This record gives sequence, C-alpha cells and structure tokens, in this order.
Amino acid sequence: MTLAPSRPTDQRDPAHHAGPMVTVLTDRCAGCQECVVRCPTGALGMDPARWVARAEASLCVGCRQCVRTCPFSAIAVEGPMLVAERSALAAASPSSLPGDVAETRLGFASWDEALAEAARCLDCPDPTCVRGCPTHNDIPGFVRALAARDLDAAHRVLRRTTVLPDVCSRVCDQALQCEGSCSWSLAGGRPVAVGALERFVTERAPVPPPTPAHAALGGERGASLEVAIVGSGPAGIAAAWELVEAGAHVTVYDKAAKPGGLLDWGIPDFTLPSAVAERPWAQLVEAGVELRCGTAVSAEDLERLAAENDAVLLAHGAGVPVVPKVPGVDLDGVEDASTFLERAHVALTGRTRLADLDTAAGARNSAAVVLVLGAGNTAMDVARSARRLGARAVCVDWMDERFAPVRPDELDEARAEGVDVLFSSTVVALEGASGHVTRAVLATTRQERRDRRPEVLAGKTSVVEVDCVVLAMGYRTDTSLAAGQRDLPVVKSVEQYPDRRTVASGILANPAPPFARHQPVGRLALARESARVAAGFARAARVWVAGDALVGPSTVVEAMAQGKSAAVAILAHQPRRPGVAPLPPRHVVVVVDSVGGRTRSAATVIADILATTGASVETCRVEDATRSVLARADLLVVGSWTEGLVVAKVGPSRATRAFLDSLPPLPGLRSVVFCTFGVSPRGTLAAMRDALAERGAEVVASAAFGPGKLAERAAVFGHSLHSELWPGGDLDADLDGASRRGALRVVER
Amino acid sequence: MTILTEDDPASAPAPLPRAPAAGHVEPDPVAVAVHLRPAQRRGLVEHFAPTDPPRSLDVARHPVVARLLRNRRLQFLLILPNQIVFWAVILLGLLGTVVPGLNFGTAITWYLWFCLVFVMMVVVGRAWCAMCPFGGFGEWIQRRALWRRTQKALGLGRKLPEPIAQYGFLISVGSFLLLTWIEETFNIAGPGAPHATSWMVVGIVSSALVFFLAFERRTFCRYICPLSALIGTVGAMGSVAGFRTRDREVCVSCATKDCMRGSSSGYGCPWYTWPGSADSNLACGLCTECYKSCPSDNIGLFLQKPMTSVVAPSRRRFDVAWAVSVLWGLVIFQQVNATNIYASADGWLNRTLHMRYPDPVDYVGIIAGVALVMGGIAWVVQRVLARADVTVPAGGTGYLDRTSRFRMWFVPLMYGLIPVVGADYFARQLPKFFKHVPRLVPAIGAWFGAGSTHSSLYNLHLLANPRIVTVQVVVIALGTLAAVSTSWRIAGRDLAPLSSRPLAARLTAAGLALACGLAASILYVIMHAAS
Repeated sequence: MTLAPSRPTDQRDPAHHAGPMVTVLTDRCAGCQECVVRCPTGALGMDPARWVARAEASLCVGCRQCVRTCPFSAIAVEGPMLVAERSALAAASPSSLPGDVAETRLGFASWDEALAEAARCLDCPDPTCVRGCPTHNDIPGFVRALAARDLDAAHRVLRRTTVLPDVCSRVCDQALQCEGSCSWSLAGGRPVAVGALERFVTERAPVPPPTPAHAALGGERGASLEVAIVGSGPAGIAAAWELVEAGAHVTVYDKAAKPGGLLDWGIPDFTLPSAVAERPWAQLVEAGVELRCGTAVSAEDLERLAAENDAVLLAHGAGVPVVPKVPGVDLDGVEDASTFLERAHVALTGRTRLADLDTAAGARNSAAVVLVLGAGNTAMDVARSARRLGARAVCVDWMDERFAPVRPDELDEARAEGVDVLFSSTVVALEGASGHVTRAVLATTRQERRDRRPEVLAGKTSVVEVDCVVLAMGYRTDTSLAAGQRDLPVVKSVEQYPDRRTVASGILANPAPPFARHQPVGRLALARESARVAAGFARAARVWVAGDALVGPSTVVEAMAQGKSAAVAILAHQPRRPGVAPLPPRHVVVVVDSVGGRTRSAATVIADILATTGASVETCRVEDATRSVLARADLLVVGSWTEGLVVAKVGPSRATRAFLDSLPPLPGLRSVVFCTFGVSPRGTLAAMRDALAERGAEVVASAAFGPGKLAERAAVFGHSLHSELWPGGDLDADLDGASRRGALRVVER
Repeated sequence: MTILTEDDPASAPAPLPRAPAAGHVEPDPVAVAVHLRPAQRRGLVEHFAPTDPPRSLDVARHPVVARLLRNRRLQFLLILPNQIVFWAVILLGLLGTVVPGLNFGTAITWYLWFCLVFVMMVVVGRAWCAMCPFGGFGEWIQRRALWRRTQKALGLGRKLPEPIAQYGFLISVGSFLLLTWIEETFNIAGPGAPHATSWMVVGIVSSALVFFLAFERRTFCRYICPLSALIGTVGAMGSVAGFRTRDREVCVSCATKDCMRGSSSGYGCPWYTWPGSADSNLACGLCTECYKSCPSDNIGLFLQKPMTSVVAPSRRRFDVAWAVSVLWGLVIFQQVNATNIYASADGWLNRTLHMRYPDPVDYVGIIAGVALVMGGIAWVVQRVLARADVTVPAGGTGYLDRTSRFRMWFVPLMYGLIPVVGADYFARQLPKFFKHVPRLVPAIGAWFGAGSTHSSLYNLHLLANPRIVTVQVVVIALGTLAAVSTSWRIAGRDLAPLSSRPLAARLTAAGLALACGLAASILYVIMHAAS
C-alpha cells in the first residue's frame, strides 16, 4: 500500500510547471529500471519502444529517490517536494526548574497529529530510513500500521527489531539515524518524524511483554540453552529478551543494585522517565529471566560462568571515565558524570537535595556552582540535572562550538534552562582548600578545523569559583574482564567497497543532508552496521560481547541492536558447555574462489551433499563472504584454486589469501578447507589451515583435488564430512568400502 | 605475471551465490522492509529478441577465455604496447629524423596504425577502444592505478551536462571534423613534418587527460573522442557483439547492478552501458569491467554475425543517423579534394576569400552539403512513400527523444548506409598502406642510424596504382553489396510498414546504398586519373 502524501495545491506554481519536473536523459539511460523499482509513487515506468525510463510527472512528488539510485545519473528532478509541512512537536517549559523531573520533549498530543505525520511517509520500496536505523526497524511497516490505527500490528512490526521502542523514541538522535536517512531528508527536505511516531505507538499502546509464544516464529530454538549475561543495560536487555523468548534459561548479573544500567542512572528523568526506563526489566523478570543485581563479575567469575553456561554475553558497558591530566583532579568534589547522574537521579526522584551542594551553597550563601568538564550530550545531562538540583551549571569544552559533537537541540534546551556552555575553553588546573575543590583555572583555546586538535592559547586564563566538578569527557571500555577482549573496543568502520544493497538504495548518494546537520548519514549507518555485525561473532570460545563493552561509549539503540545480534548468533550456533556433546552444524557457509570453474564445481558438489543433512547451506564467492554471512556459520568451508608457478609461490589464490587475512577471530568455529590444483598443491592447504587456526577456528578436515575425477573426489570428500560431522545421519549415497577408504585418503592429504 | 597451474575446464556448475534454505537463519531485517516494485517486463522479449546473440556464440564460456577476462591485468596488457608505441611516436616525432617516411612516429601512425584501426573497426567493433593508449592513459591517472580496482578516483568526477550530452555521438563527430581539418591544414597524415604528428598525439592525450580529470568514467571516450562516433557507427558492421547478458531475467531482477555501479572486483561500466539492455556494440568498449563485477556470473562476451548491429537494433539513434551522413560527407570531401575540378574550384575560392587550403568554407560546405543531400533524399522519400495514416508516436523533449515523420525515415535509411561508409573510409587508407608500409622497417632502423631513404624497403610498394584503385573499388563494391543488403533488410522491417508502397521503399533504400557505392567508386577512379 502506498500512503498518499499530502499534495497541497498551493505548492504548485500554476504559472509555470505544476509540481516537480522529471527529465530522463535518454542518452545515458540504459533501461536498468533501478529507478522504476524504487520509485515510491510509481511515477516511473518503461518506454517499451526505446527501453528507457519514462516519467509520469503528475505522479511525481519530488523525493528524488530516482536521482539517488540511478547508476548512470541519467535522471534529473527539478521543482518542489510535494509533501505537507512536518508536524511541530510541543516542548514542555516548566515554570520552576528546581526539583522538576517532567519530560522536556513531548510526543504527539492527538491521533490527528500523528496521522497527519504518518501520511507524510512515502512507504519507499527501498526505505533508506530502515538502513539509517541502527537496529533496522521496519519504519514504513509500523507507520503503515499506525496509519491504519492498528497499534498491535505496529508493535508486532517493531518487535521484530527492537524491544525498547519507548526508550529509543525518546533518547535516539534521529537526525543522524532514521530521520536523517528519510527520503525527504536525503532530498534536502524535512523528514517524517519517525521518533515521534514510534513514541506515539508506545504511548497509546504499552510495549507488549516478552513471551515465549513469540518463539512460534523459530520454534523452541533455545530450549536447552543456558546463557549468562553480564550487565543489564540496553544490550543485556535485548539479548535477554531474545533468548528468553526462544526458550533459553537466562541469568543476568549486574553490579548495580537496580537493573537497567545506563537507562536507570545514565539518562536523566527529564529525558527518560523512570517508568519508561524500568518497564523492560519488570517485563523480563516476569517472563522468567533470572536477575542477580549487586553482583559484580570478576575475571575469575567469568571463567566459572563460561564453564557453567552454554554461552556468556558480556554487556557490562564502558564505565571507565576519561580523566583529564590537570592538577587537582583528585580533590574532593571532583567526580565522574555517571556518579553524579546516579546521585542526582536518586536525589531528584526522591525529592531530596544533594547534601554537598547544599552545604556548599550554605557556606557561600549563594547557589552552588557545578563545573562540567565537557560539552557533549552527557555533559548537558549533568548540567541540566544540576540546574534541577538548584545549582548553577557551567560546561567547558576545548572544542570550537562549530565542531562540537553535542546535539544542537540538547544544547539549545540546556542554554534555555540557564546552563552556561563555554566552548573554546579548557580547564588547566583545579585548586582547592582543605582537600576540597574550590576554584578552576580556565584557559582559552582555538580550533580552526574539525580534524585539528584545539590549541591552548597562552596567557588567556580566568578563574571560576566552583563547588563541584564533574568529568564528562567520555568513557572507556573496561577490558579487564576477560581474555579475548584484548582487541576491544571494536572500531566501527566502513568497508572500502560498502554493502552493494546499501549503495543501490541511494542512502550514500546525498552524503550530507541539511537535516542531518550535514553529517554523512549513509556512512554513519554503515559504520554502525559493522559493529552490529561484529557483535554476532564470539570473542572467545562461547563468549560474546555487545554494547559499549564491545565498541566503547555509544548509544542505547546501537547497544540494543548489538545485544540482539549476539543473542541471534548464540541461538544460531547453539554452543554447548564443556561436557555436553556439541550439536551437528546447522548453518554451513561454503566460501569459494574459482577462476575457471573447477573449484566452484567441487564446492557445489560438497554443498549439495551437506545440504542433505538438513543444515542450511549457503555458497558464495570470497568477494561476497561478508561478515554478516560469516556470522551465521557454524561450519565454514573454504575452497580455493591453487595459484603459482608450478613449483614457486604455490599457495591459495590471491583472493582467498585476502579473504583469510580479513577474517575476524573465529574461536571454536568448525571449519573445512579444500583446494583444486593442476600440478601440485604444495603448501596450499597448510596455509589455509594455519590462517584459520590463527583465528581460533578448529579445522576438522581438508582435501586437495587434482586434475581428473573432480566431481567424484569432491563427492567422496563431501560424504566423509557428512559422516564425520553429522554422526548417525543418513548417508544417502551408495558409498562402497573402497570409496570410504578413498574418502579417508582424501581427507588426510 | 602469475602462471596458473590449475582450474581447467569443467562442466558448468550452478552459478554462485546460492542462498540458504529459508527459515534456517534469522531474516535480514533490512531485506524484510524492502519491497521493490516489480521491474517492467512488458515488451522486453520483443525489444531484445532481434539483437540477442545466440548462447553458442558466448566465447566467455570457454574457461581459458573466462580466466583471461577475469584477470584485472588484461586491459593493462592490451593498452601497454600501444602506450609505449605512442610515447615513442611523440618522442621520435619531435627528436627523430625530419623525413616523414623515415620517422618511426609518422611511419607507424599513418602507414600502419590508421589502417589497422579500420580493420579492427570493421571486423570487431570497438577493439581499438579496448587498447587505446589515449583513453588508457587518462584512465590510469583517473583511477590512480594501472590495473587494480581502486575506490578513490582522481579528479572532479563530473557528469557531462545534459544540454551537451543530449547530442550523444554528434559531439564526437564534431571533434572528428575539427581534427581532420587540423590534419588537412598541417598535412599531418600526409604524412608531413613528423613533429606535427607528435603535437597531434600530445593534443589528443592531453585533452583526454583533461576530460578524464574533469568528468567521471570514460566521458571522453563516449562523447568527445574524435574516433568514438566513427568506431561506434562503422564498428556496427563488426562481428563482436560485446559484453551482453547471458540471462536477461537475472539482470532485470538484479537489485544491485554491480556492472553499472562497480564492485570490489570491477569498476562500473565506464561507457554508460548496461549489458542487460545493450542491443548493439555501439557503446561497448570491451573493457571487461562488467564481466568482472557481475556477482551472478551472468555476463558473456558474445560474437555475432557481421552487420547484426547495423540491422537488428530496434532502438535506433538519431545522432547515429546524422553521424553516418556527416561522416559520409567527410570521406566524400576527402575524395573530392583529390580531384582536378576541386583543385581549380578551391583555388578560385581561396583567392576570393583570401584563405588557404583547407578553406573552411568548402570544407564545411561540402561535408554539410553531402549530409544535407542525404537528409533531403530521406525527406523526399518519406514525402513520396509514407502512408498518410501512420501517426508519429509521441516523443520526449531531448534531442534524441523527439519524434517526427522525417526521423522515422531518415534514421533507418542512414543505418543502412553504414557498410558503404565504413568501406569508403577503409579504402581511403589503403594507398598509404600498400605504398609505404614497408618503410616501417627502415624507420625502425633509423633509430639505430641504419635506415635510409635509399633502402630498397623504403621504396618498395606492396601494390602500385592502378592495382590499388582496383582494390579500392573492390572494397567499395563489397561495402556496397553489404549496404544494399542491410538497407534492404532494414527497410523491410522499419520502412515497409510505414510505406504506401513497401516494395518501393525497400528498392529505394537499396538503390540509395548502391548510388553511394557507385559515387565512391567513380571518385576513386577520377582521383587516380587526377594523380
């Protein structure tokens, strides 16, 4: 169904051309139909005589999806975007700030408002908003359901990818995610208010609790699994939800007294009310997740957990604050943001005051001054909480305001609430009396380019009287918990040749839409996706890591998406703790590099035999073996042709070597290697085995196929794998004794 | 280069990739939300059936060919020898002997290369484009790589603006006319002073480089290169169809079009061609990129019967029709200017206008005159033979998209003449080849101080007049026969349904081809008499 966008007639200029004008440049139009299949309104079709695209201008709304998706830039759209104005959302303005914990941003007040906004959605055939959303919510899907006033259906759509729609709709920076990637935004306009629509769904109908019945989709996939999760923040919530719905027994450990992690203490109530933040854990505990709060997990505990459980997920966040190297940072009254926010949360929700701020204020007979080091989003939360505690708040950040990573809306709100935000300014010393901080020495800085470090200008200093200093300069991951975390945090990165489908969707074609604050939404989405995929790979045998523990300080939605990704991987791999027999492979990925077709033939034969086990078998070229494909594998088969000069430089093909070199750690993954050769494989198999073993994979078999009888030898090898890895399975081929011996010989090579 | 020691022929396996069975793995959340509209298939089969080469003519099915085409160094190795030769042409033209016949630069360019280009054109199509050192050089710089697939292109990566690009191959025709005029002015191809040839090559290389740095892909080759329109139109006679889809349904349902956008294995088509819709070899530069980047191994390198790309395409281009008539005008000019009548007329004109050869007035005048005569003939033919009840289909607004009754007749008539135009260009190159190609040997010897104008090879003619004229007339006769045949077939398919007298339409088209052939033959005889 395509929702009809509003077409206000006043946007059309009757004196000239009515509405947008589409020009197909027929010299370059190759008739590939990339625009036709992606046009939201069906305004494009094919001219059968010339086989070039043809536009029906009266249907065009000017979203320019065609312009972004045409591979040859053979289409141009000029003229207005025919879409109604984006609904304006009301903002709460409390009459008296101190003690106020009411939400500052409000959702849609009525169905009419929500429906009007929903009608702006084009229901794009290749929705870029879905790619922009870190967890890939089916945004057009839930908006469609909302437009049909079916909130249950909207929740069903959302549940496929999120368990925190009420949280994310409040805390996400949609401008850099779904909304920034909306077709209207990519076209330079104002996107559909996706966040507000998602919030409307959750406000009008509560988020349904986890239910093992949901596992009807995948059966009791996790029925016999026991999983321990360390950390109860967004990543832990998503993983626990996914696993408990699949029937697994889940135990969650958190060192804090209350579950929720960052949701509980890290985000102030005026952004995320306690009722919303507490909702997931209330439902999870009800659904049977075992919750052990106040239980810190040490490295030794982790070993015990790994021995007692089938899988462990580390989602303990990034809790080590970055401490600036300035004198006086160890004085009393200097604390990190999470400590301050936690205390502020308790004080504000308990309607009490922070004793030390009160004391300071009493001693100086004026409002206490809280100096916040940093002017990012956490710093704004601290400063605004301080304002609500009755203090004066000053944020200092050495970056230039133009380049600061703070959300402009949060900065505006903070300033409106009376927070002093000093950019191009840094603390050079903290001074104190009787061990307590009392003064901060500030220096001016200068930063001329985004990619340059700010420089401190000599001689320009000033002094601020302070009562409390809060460090909000970022956090680091605590890597002390376990081995296998040495290479953490994972760096979010964009591959040199990005995912082909993402490229085709056109999200990369407008690299910096104005609504997204001129940020590259497409590349940001690809970078986030790399982390989501990375969460699907175990970091040590049967140990997964997700959320801030994996990538360093990040966002709620990314942590949730990674937690889900890890849970899906645990359910797919079905690991078994020591002493329990492992299950036979269920997801075989055959990766092959073939140049003339022989290696591919062998791979096809082997794949066909393995498919008779009932396992899903996916065969792809090395170029296409992306991490998301590999993450699914619990048996990896790698086949290569042998490259080299008969005796010199003989080894796996260049593409295979590149593939093996690019592999992530694959602890415990069962794998098989084979190669085809003309004269001699020499060290080809050994090189492949070594590369996999280096990443912790367990190479269970290998074989080299020479010239002649290729299909037969590959079949023998396939059957030997079949009997080796699927014991007791039906070996449907008529293998005689000689062939079986042949199989063993092949395997031994 | 790596020598491959395995992976020999085998029976064709199922194409990769193969997706896992549904239901086994968690569905990709993005894929769930994507619901592309169905691609339009109405008219697809009818449109492409006449131009699709048979599967048996896909040479890429042979594993050795497949392996070659898959190799990223292939293009580099094709371009490299020509690159070396043309830098040698530049250097030796400037530094070597001033005797044109003994200078390697002029000798190889005008006695051998130009003739070979026409042979490749007529037999293959854009074979030269696959090995062209001018585009090749620009492309190396633009890609910052000799053969590797890289992602960060050098230059501005602009698109040729549509107001210009809408004229398609006519821009290239224009630059060919300009280059020929420069060549006639400085007697470069005569060959005259060797440094003139060097400067011409430097001019082409540097303008190519400028365009490669300003625009994306092979904008220069597709639109600007002086030879592009000529190779494109005459190459339609060739027997290589180019890279085409093996199974069109796979291409139509492909959601990523790596052959156009590029993938880690290959660049997107530099020529703005999609193998899924190519219906002639007009814009296939044989660069193998689509073959390398297709994730479905669905692209083949197809041969075709000669003249297929002249006769079969159902999407004929107005720019190509004018290109044929203007190029015909140019070759006729070149023939006419070797006659006595022209010499006296040109002399009078030059005195009157105070100009010198080639006077742009008669240069442009004769070419435009011939082209307009061709247009005029088409106009008269449609006035006489068109059926009154045939309506002109609605067209677009761009130059290539507009429709008219004139276009409906002019375009097929001009396509039919391609073989005779091609034959005439080819015949024009023969005298230099037959008379002087042995000079290449002393010209190479001249590097080492061994070549001399007294050498027997320097003065050896493979053929001499009047035998050369005989060969030229035979070439024209063959071209005319082919043109009569193509005109007859094209008229039968495209013009007969528009005509009140279908047979007359076919006879007129064939007669026009015959008349063109006769005119060219007679001119060769007159030229010989003049010399």
